[in-house]
Amino acid sequence: MTQEIITARNSSIVLGEKKILENITCSISAGEFVGIIGPNGAGKSTLLLALRGFVPLASGEVQLAGRPITTLSDKELARHVAYMQQEVNVGFGYTALEVVLTGRYPYLKWWQHEQAEDKAIARQYMEFTGVEALADKPVHLMSGGEKQRVLLAKVLAQETPLIFLDEPTASLDLVYQEEIFRYCQLISKQGKTVLIVAHDLKLSAKFCSRLLLLADSKMIADGSPEKVITKENLQAAYGLHAAVFMNKVTGNLDIHTYAAADDNPNKDTNVHIICGGGSGEKFIRLLYERGYRLTLGVIQPGDADANVAEAFHLPCLLGQPFSSIDELSAQENRRKISAADWVVLSDLTFGEQNIDNLQAAFMAKKLIVIEDTPIEKRDFLNGQASELYAELVEMPQVTVMTLPQFITLLEKN
Amino acid sequence: MRETMLKKTQGNRAKKAWKIMIVLSIVLLGMIVFSISWGTITVPWEDTLAIIGQHVPVISGYFPSVNAEFQAVVWNIRLPRVLVGVLVGAALGVSGAVMQGVFGNPLADPGIIGVSSGASFGAVAAIALGLTSFSIFIMPMFALVGALAAVSATVFLTMSRGKIPVMTLLLSGVAVSMLMGALTSGILTLMNEYRVREYLFWVVGGLDYRRWEHVYLAVGPILIGLIVLCLLARHLNVLVLGEQEARSVGVPVVALRLLLLFVAAATTAMAVCVSGTIGFVGLIVPHIMRIIVGPEHRWLLPSSALAGALFLVFCDTLGRMIFPPNEIRVGIMTALLGAPYFLYLLRKTQQSGGPS
Repeated sequence: MTQEIITARNSSIVLGEKKILENITCSISAGEFVGIIGPNGAGKSTLLLALRGFVPLASGEVQLAGRPITTLSDKELARHVAYMQQEVNVGFGYTALEVVLTGRYPYLKWWQHEQAEDKAIARQYMEFTGVEALADKPVHLMSGGEKQRVLLAKVLAQETPLIFLDEPTASLDLVYQEEIFRYCQLISKQGKTVLIVAHDLKLSAKFCSRLLLLADSKMIADGSPEKVITKENLQAAYGLHAAVFMNKVTGNLDIHTYAAADDNPNKDTNVHIICGGGSGEKFIRLLYERGYRLTLGVIQPGDADANVAEAFHLPCLLGQPFSSIDELSAQENRRKISAADWVVLSDLTFGEQNIDNLQAAFMAKKLIVIEDTPIEKRDFLNGQASELYAELVEMPQVTVMTLPQFITLLEKN
Repeated sequence: MRETMLKKTQGNRAKKAWKIMIVLSIVLLGMIVFSISWGTITVPWEDTLAIIGQHVPVISGYFPSVNAEFQAVVWNIRLPRVLVGVLVGAALGVSGAVMQGVFGNPLADPGIIGVSSGASFGAVAAIALGLTSFSIFIMPMFALVGALAAVSATVFLTMSRGKIPVMTLLLSGVAVSMLMGALTSGILTLMNEYRVREYLFWVVGGLDYRRWEHVYLAVGPILIGLIVLCLLARHLNVLVLGEQEARSVGVPVVALRLLLLFVAAATTAMAVCVSGTIGFVGLIVPHIMRIIVGPEHRWLLPSSALAGALFLVFCDTLGRMIFPPNEIRVGIMTALLGAPYFLYLLRKTQQSGGPS
């Protein structure tokens, strides 16, 4: 059973007249690595501050390990939660070790000095974040990446079950951003609970076990990265047109964003695409971004074009691998082709498995045939496809053009 | 291997701080003996040591007797003067370091939140009321009350919803200082010339005519203040990293800040009330010591105390040596030496794009 370590119930925060957070309810269990994401001004950092008890709630309650956070003393809180703020200005030339040692403050009585044990702990975490060699270097002389690793070591030296980080990667190069996430993931695997406010959706999705998506002072999604990072949520939070898909190369969630008219003029235009072997991927994205309602078929599973369809969540008729198109798919394909406002036949190669696609193309009300390579070179059926193709392009509803021509046509509309 | 290296560098830093403090102590003792011996009547240093030794219980019998004139000069005139200098210098040095830490700004000093202007107002009030002739304690007490009143006004004007924003505090300090200055000037224009001279004598800080009474008055409060501030040094280290950072590790920020401000202000006020206003010590001494021993307040504060005492006794002695038998008052000497250095610092911070 997982144990709830921190919970917020109907928490709201009001600053002056403005509501910063509205009715936030969430419950986080030990060992989770939670990313708090959302657009600027959504209230991400404020949520983190509220969970740490740094800002008073207008209503609701935050509980830490079952106790209302307001009943805990300053030092008790500091022994439960370590907090790394967005921008720390370490002045006066303090060295890395001196800064890391301040993490031991909650464990010392007011008259005590740091013991050998505290120093050993500080050094241990500096080693973990790879800054032990910089122990005596003044922090203000360090690079952004070094400084953040020193501050991370400080937060770890606090040895708390909960670690909060407020945009620790904000001013860092890509490599260091990922490094911070990697450290956090490692820490959470060791049983600590990590909450991180982050800007980068891809990194958050890659490393966090759970995401909280905030927008406009409200929590609009809470769950696993796959559940939270969706086309609909991104649209709602960021007003962003995006395609979210599993990147097969990296194995990570990927996000493709594009500009689109809010009032989509093409949303009622059905377009069916006959493609395969990667011949369609170049223009499927363009059609998708212009808001056409797309269907694809019939494509072999695992085909490059099938992956594109999956990425954009497009309905796609899939055949059986290494066999010709079955009766059922063929019929469905023909039904879609005749239902479509127009059909695009890409510059694909024809073989035994997909020759039926060419036959089905005759059913189109309006057909655009893309031809960059002569059909003879794409015909692996000893002229059978060429014959059919020649017949097809003679039909009155058919327009033949090259891919660049087609793209220009799309861009003109 | 690496670990032992790390230990060593850490050890070295502490060792270095100790060494510096020991060197400072020795130089300070030498400076004291020199300052007491040198003057229109020059006392041989052995005699100086003998006179001091005779007054120390238990070992007093081991020192040879010295003629009565030297006795009087050393014991009644020069020693109290130097001791007041040591106390005042230490108080100003430590308070300055603490203020710079609390404000997170290397150019802050206790004067900035109204200590000096409040003390001046208290002093002028005592003079205007004609109370100073009753006891030499009257004016210092008035100065102390004035200083603490000014600091309280500054802090409470700033405090809102349990917070003390540093920038607002600085601005309130400026406003309160100007108000106190205006009140002081107002009273001065109404006073007769003899009393204005008395005020002027006090406001340009000096160590001349300081007697054992001044030492007794200042020694307790200043030592307590210094000890309290040094005990809070570790907490100050955390506070310097910023309010949010300090709160994250459980520092009661507002309480600590208030405590530090009041103890530092009271210590400074105590110094000001026995010596008059002496500028630049609290500004420059911590700054130099931060370069030498580093920002760690557990080393910075005690070494600032030693260096402050040394600087003030040095300035006083120099002031006596330039045009004998005339004296340049120590407040003028510290300004003459301190102002150019301060301006140099300002230019340097400007060039590097901000306080370091």
